[in-house]
Amino acid sequence: MVDVKLENIVKTFGETVALKGIDLHIKAGELFTLLGPSGCGKSTTLRIIAGLDFPDSGTIYFGDQEVTYLPSSKRGAVLVFQNYALWPHMTVFDNVAYGLKLRKLPKDEIKKKVEWALELIKLEGFADRYPTQLSGGQQQRVAIARALVVEPKVLLLDEPLSNLDAKLRLEMRSEIRRIQRELGITVIYVTHDQEEAMAISDRIAVMNVGTVEQVGTPKEIYETPKTEFVASFMGKTNVIPAKVVERNGDRVSVEFEDIRLDGLYYTGESDDVVVVIRPERIRLKPIENAVSFTGTVDLIEYYGFFVEVVGLFGDTRIIARTISDREIAGLKPLQQVTFYVERDDVIVLPKQQL
Amino acid sequence: MKVSKWSERLFGTPLFDPVVTTSFLFPLLYLVAFLIIPVLAMLAIAFQYNGQFSLHWFTSLASDYYISFHPEGEFYKLITMPTGEQVYYIQGWDFGVILNSLLVSISVMILTTILGTVFAFVMARYDFPGKDIVRILLFVPLLVTPFVNVFIVKKMFLPAGLINWVFHDILHIFPHPIWIDGLVGVIVAQTLTYYPIVYLNAYASFINIDPTLEEQAENLGSGGLHLFRTVTFPLALPGIAAGATLVGIFSLEDLAAPIVFQGNGLARKLMSFQIYSAFTSGFNVGSPQLAALALIMLTIAIMMFLGIRKYVSLRQYAMLSKGGRWKPRVAKPKPWQAFLIYFVVLPVLFLSIFPQIGVVLLAFSEQWGDTTWPSGFTLKHIQSIITQPDIERVIINSVMYSTVAIVVIILLSLTASYASSRFKKSKLGPVLDSLSTIPIAVPGIVIAMSYFFFFAKVFPDTPLDPTNLLGFNPAMVLILAYSIRRLPFAARSISAGIQQVHISLEEVALNLGASRWKALTGILIPLILLNLLGGAMLSFVYCMSETSVGITLGSINPEYYPITARMVELITGSVGGTHLTAALGVFLMVVQIIAIVLANVITKQRYSFIGLT
Ligand SMILES: Nc1ncnc2c1ncn2[C@@H]1O[C@H](COP(=O)(O)OP(=O)(O)OP(=O)(O)O)[C@@H](O)[C@H]1O
Ligand SMILES: [Mg+2]
Repeated sequence: MVDVKLENIVKTFGETVALKGIDLHIKAGELFTLLGPSGCGKSTTLRIIAGLDFPDSGTIYFGDQEVTYLPSSKRGAVLVFQNYALWPHMTVFDNVAYGLKLRKLPKDEIKKKVEWALELIKLEGFADRYPTQLSGGQQQRVAIARALVVEPKVLLLDEPLSNLDAKLRLEMRSEIRRIQRELGITVIYVTHDQEEAMAISDRIAVMNVGTVEQVGTPKEIYETPKTEFVASFMGKTNVIPAKVVERNGDRVSVEFEDIRLDGLYYTGESDDVVVVIRPERIRLKPIENAVSFTGTVDLIEYYGFFVEVVGLFGDTRIIARTISDREIAGLKPLQQVTFYVERDDVIVLPKQQL
Repeated sequence: MKVSKWSERLFGTPLFDPVVTTSFLFPLLYLVAFLIIPVLAMLAIAFQYNGQFSLHWFTSLASDYYISFHPEGEFYKLITMPTGEQVYYIQGWDFGVILNSLLVSISVMILTTILGTVFAFVMARYDFPGKDIVRILLFVPLLVTPFVNVFIVKKMFLPAGLINWVFHDILHIFPHPIWIDGLVGVIVAQTLTYYPIVYLNAYASFINIDPTLEEQAENLGSGGLHLFRTVTFPLALPGIAAGATLVGIFSLEDLAAPIVFQGNGLARKLMSFQIYSAFTSGFNVGSPQLAALALIMLTIAIMMFLGIRKYVSLRQYAMLSKGGRWKPRVAKPKPWQAFLIYFVVLPVLFLSIFPQIGVVLLAFSEQWGDTTWPSGFTLKHIQSIITQPDIERVIINSVMYSTVAIVVIILLSLTASYASSRFKKSKLGPVLDSLSTIPIAVPGIVIAMSYFFFFAKVFPDTPLDPTNLLGFNPAMVLILAYSIRRLPFAARSISAGIQQVHISLEEVALNLGASRWKALTGILIPLILLNLLGGAMLSFVYCMSETSVGITLGSINPEYYPITARMVELITGSVGGTHLTAALGVFLMVVQIIAIVLANVITKQRYSFIGLT
């Protein structure tokens, strides 16, 4: 168990700058997630931590030890590949035992450890099978066992669930969480699925084209996004372009369409902003200390355990989400509607060049 | 239309359809008629003694001449040349014809595996200045120049040859010059000729290993030789083994090396040469004992072929990889690795392409006697390709035979691949599949011999009867032999093409009202046209350089000689004939280069010339 520090990591592949100076501090024993869209540099970051690629500049520390150019084989940061990379010519047992044999452990100890690992991933009876005789989920668990059994300082997981079906994904998600808690190891987890990231992580780093936009707990990231990108990446949300029309200390008034919202918190410099409102924070009945805006109902979409009302305000569509049927009783498309949001739930962020 | 149970079982479609039926039956009947039945005819003769079934001819092979466990002679000896110089003369031991063939084949397999695997690994995994040139050079040994390249190999290992020039005269590594001859000469020549086959297979295998499989091992602490031993090599092994087996089969049936080295009696004691010499001496061709020998050779080759097919199919690691980025593992060599690459691997590579270089030198030189290098530049040998009537004639003959053969080959491989890859439920499909690849494992000399018996028996006293010395016209027999022997190469290219075209494209056409014929000619064939062309060109090249049948059945009547028949006559015959053989070799190389470049340009895919699976 060790903490991992990345300082100003830059990595280019020919013309593409994959990482533009990444700073991260992953604490010992936490499950830390790198979240971001495809191609943003998550795998690259992970491979650099694993020692499979080396940065152009920057430094990596495991605890106090600098490991930037330490070869992968000596680093103890074990990567579970996106495609599992199970060796097809070896049985499950041999796959899992591989790292232990390299460490020259006695035979019976290897056997004991492999059995322990297979038990951990609930594949006790599968030692003699070949990878091709396993299902996707089983293969994935073997890959994790193979990494865990060598007691890595850091376990790196690259989109380990991306090839599984929805149900297995949920199962494996809690499995990974359970194993991590049980063994108390430092885990760096990569995904582009924000829901998965929120469910599994202690902390999340949201990445966007080679940079880290924000680091925080799932709650912080979701509720107080620091940038427009983070706000829009974390689930379905309303991101409304607007203009600052009046400033009053750290409170501002903004305008979009004909609508003016007063008294919102904003300290940025640019007057070009976006207003971020989570759909579930919008009420259709008046509440205290709220801003409100009136438009027409465009659509009502029924999702089962919640309902979404899409309101049309000029040309801007805003989505409200509610789990209360009473709130929308009698509401019909083309009717007039007023949305209410608590002032502090309205987030104003500088407009970003996305 | 009626639904038919037997149509479904045989042809994989419940609706009887003439196009489908023809696709199955044409190649099937062709292969049965011109491969299976002739071989069976030979079988019948080998098992017959005094009109009865008997193992007599096989037991007659149990003499010291054929199998001996007490090798005679010395593997090498120090001899004194007429000039007084002492020379290590290396020729090998004599274990009898059958064991010799096996031992040569095994030695060649081992040597080509080492050579091919090392080259492939270096090319697949290291990036070093000059690599692009090496890549091109590695194609050189693939150029087939029957007999002359072996002739050059022989020259290289003479006391005054290139090898001694380098290692004795210049580097002083050898205490005495060496002279490689006999079985060892055959082994060396075959190794240099066939190692590219292992190289290509091994290279493809190394390239196709999912890089994450090795990265994972490294990540877990492996590296260097351990990584190679535990992950890389086992994963590449099926490909390497397939290449090596193919080499083993080719070595078994090879005639060029024994013919060129036949001055040493040991080189004659090989199965292929024994059968061949019976042909050329004439009086012994019909001998049932030789039929028995041919069957033994055939059995060994087929067993090797089936064995490797089984092994490879068991270990066909469909790389489990799903997604992830494919980042080829190519590294800059460390200093000691670079040293090995530049000072060991590249010199060996140069050595291995020297035969082809030598062929060119020989073709353009006045004289090349017992010296390291030839002397006197001349164009006269090359010119005689167009000015000398006998040379001109053999080229025209070969082009004619080969052209007709490839038309047949295309028809055969198109129908066979269509049938077996589109109607998978058919019980005939697997049979057809095996039949169209098995010719790779049937030694050419065995085909020649079977045809000899078959045509003499079935068409006596016609132009098809090889015993009808004056009237025999080999055109038909050669075309049949070519079409069978070269079928697997085209079939592979075409069936790869068909598998790339999704079946739904034809189904849409059928669904819209097209007939099978329309769907085949209007949809499938246009889509695989490039594969057809590529396959046709490769087959053409290999037909032109076909040896075994050409120099036996083809060399009965000079008027109908194919190129190789004339080449063998020239190289074993008069002085100066070697230059003309080399000129023909250069001609064949040019044809091959043109065809291969065209095939690669037209089809935009890399043709690995020879493969097994
Ligand atoms: N070996 C390479 N050669 C060239 N470019 C590369 C290489 N590896 C990554 N890149 C580029 O670097 C950028 C980041 O790639 P990376 O694989 O880290 O993305 P990712 O966030 O893991 O994406 P995904 O979610 O699709 O796996 C991309 O633009 C990619 O094209
Ligand atoms: Mg990735």
